[in-house]
Amino acid sequence: MAKKLMKGAEAMGEAAVQAGCHLFFGYPITPQNEIPEYLSSRLPQVGGTFVQAESEVASINMLYGAAGAGERVMTSSSSPGISLMAEGISYCAGAKLPVVIINIMRAGPGLGGILPSQADYFQATKGLAHGDFRVLVLAPWSIQEAADLVQDAFDLADYYCNPVMVVGDGLIGQMMEPVEFYEDRKPIKELPPKTWASTGWKRDRPKAIINSLFLDPAELEQHNIELKAKYDLMERDEVRFATYGSVDSADVVIIAYGTVARVCLSAIEALEEDGIKVAMVRPITLWPYPYEAVREVASKAKDILVVELSTGQMIEDVRLALHRPRPIHFHCRLGGMLVSPEEVIDKVKAIKAGTSKEVHYA
Amino acid sequence: MFSRQVTVLVGHFGSGKTEIALNGALDLAADGVPVTLADLDVVKPYFRSRSARHILAEAGVRLIAPEGENVYADLPIIVPQVRDILRRPRGKVIVDVGGDGSGARVLGSLTDVLPTTNIEFLVVLNFSRPSTPDTAGAIAMVHEIEAVARVRVTGLISNTHMMNETTPETILEGAHLAIETGAALDLPVVAAAIHEDMAASVNGDLPCPAFILKRIVKPPFEVQPQRKTVGPLFVLN
Repeated sequence: MAKKLMKGAEAMGEAAVQAGCHLFFGYPITPQNEIPEYLSSRLPQVGGTFVQAESEVASINMLYGAAGAGERVMTSSSSPGISLMAEGISYCAGAKLPVVIINIMRAGPGLGGILPSQADYFQATKGLAHGDFRVLVLAPWSIQEAADLVQDAFDLADYYCNPVMVVGDGLIGQMMEPVEFYEDRKPIKELPPKTWASTGWKRDRPKAIINSLFLDPAELEQHNIELKAKYDLMERDEVRFATYGSVDSADVVIIAYGTVARVCLSAIEALEEDGIKVAMVRPITLWPYPYEAVREVASKAKDILVVELSTGQMIEDVRLALHRPRPIHFHCRLGGMLVSPEEVIDKVKAIKAGTSKEVHYA
Repeated sequence: MFSRQVTVLVGHFGSGKTEIALNGALDLAADGVPVTLADLDVVKPYFRSRSARHILAEAGVRLIAPEGENVYADLPIIVPQVRDILRRPRGKVIVDVGGDGSGARVLGSLTDVLPTTNIEFLVVLNFSRPSTPDTAGAIAMVHEIEAVARVRVTGLISNTHMMNETTPETILEGAHLAIETGAALDLPVVAAAIHEDMAASVNGDLPCPAFILKRIVKPPFEVQPQRKTVGPLFVLN
């Protein structure tokens, strides 16, 4: 298929269609409205159905029903909307349902603002909702990668029978870049038929009941043990990251994800011209987190810098990744303000000069 | 382009109206022409003309747009000064309208103040965008905009590009598709917008006049480090 110039929201909508998702349930919120907007006209073209639900709570429960019937299904929202969906996402995880959720993050807390942010890192990776569960979290840094990861998200959700979340700051929803969809794309996992799906009982198999209620504690304990085994597999097999720059001998290693990592890469190129060696580790899966990659590159770097559009939520994971307690330098912008390449350059130079003030000791 | 006192830019979502409006306003201001840019975008929440207000102010362009914290609001705000400038245009006026029929609908509410003479309504076309992959899509878009905006489109601007992956062929193919669209609708293609870096390689082969653009609407990672960021989303390099 020829490349198209697409907004991130359009590209993620089309990616869902390309992945065989014919059902979308959602409720509008800036800055991701163009995803439902796109799918409201696109899904009928492929015999699919778009429903604007009465709320986010309704949306996620529609996903629960449709996924339980074995369909590929998606919703999208932005930060406060994801909070409203939290209970339903826990139900999906508890009922082992493959659903795909896109969060185009805006600045919070509360209603906050509509400009880009990465303030939902904790929400996505650690504290999404009640109960002992995880969602696999993918974080693209370009529109092409957003399109690719949304397609992968459906395969991963089906393979693990678990919710998968794609998170991007507002720029991933709103900016335009060339995007290509590949006609011969194959699933990234070998996917068994959905024999567990509730598709109508014809006395040919045990009844398929979609449920997250287990009154018998022994049974619920076993259920949790099975879920944990699944999350262990994800941690073993699904970690994704990319590295850039002087990974074997950096003055400073930057840890950043999403579009912030692209800002950092622009800075790294300029810093290398000045003879300052900088490496970067970019987590692509925020959960499971690339602890080993961060540990490896950090062990060969003099200093560590985390750059984020939050007050430092990812620092916790970087701290966990390190062999030994070390200073972690930090730079952020908040509230919808964006990090500029110039700011990253200044921060790296300040670290080199020993004048960097924001230091979090592990 | 900008041959009339008032230029209204309409077109499909993401076709490049804001980039052309900003470039046009800055070019005219650089030539010493008094110019007003009215931001009527009620469709997209980011990358609107109002976000470039510092750049425009520095160049002496008068911006009519929501002010204060409403600069960032995702609300369909049309400030009253818009009606005033359309009723009594002073200098050149460029109107940046939101995308698709839903954005152009705003114009329908302004028909009582839109001038009847010395005004042009230009549809910006980018054939790399999914909503207008071909001339049929572009023709449908022009008809939709005319219906909801209650105006007659007077010309087309070819703006086919692929951001950093634009080639001379991208621009030329787009310009020819715009000419075909114009022929079907009996409309002139008043210009093909070309990024300044590409100008030398396509100018001679264009089937219409060229409008040379600087890229103003940029995400932060495209900002050259030695330049200061102006506001959260816009930078003039």
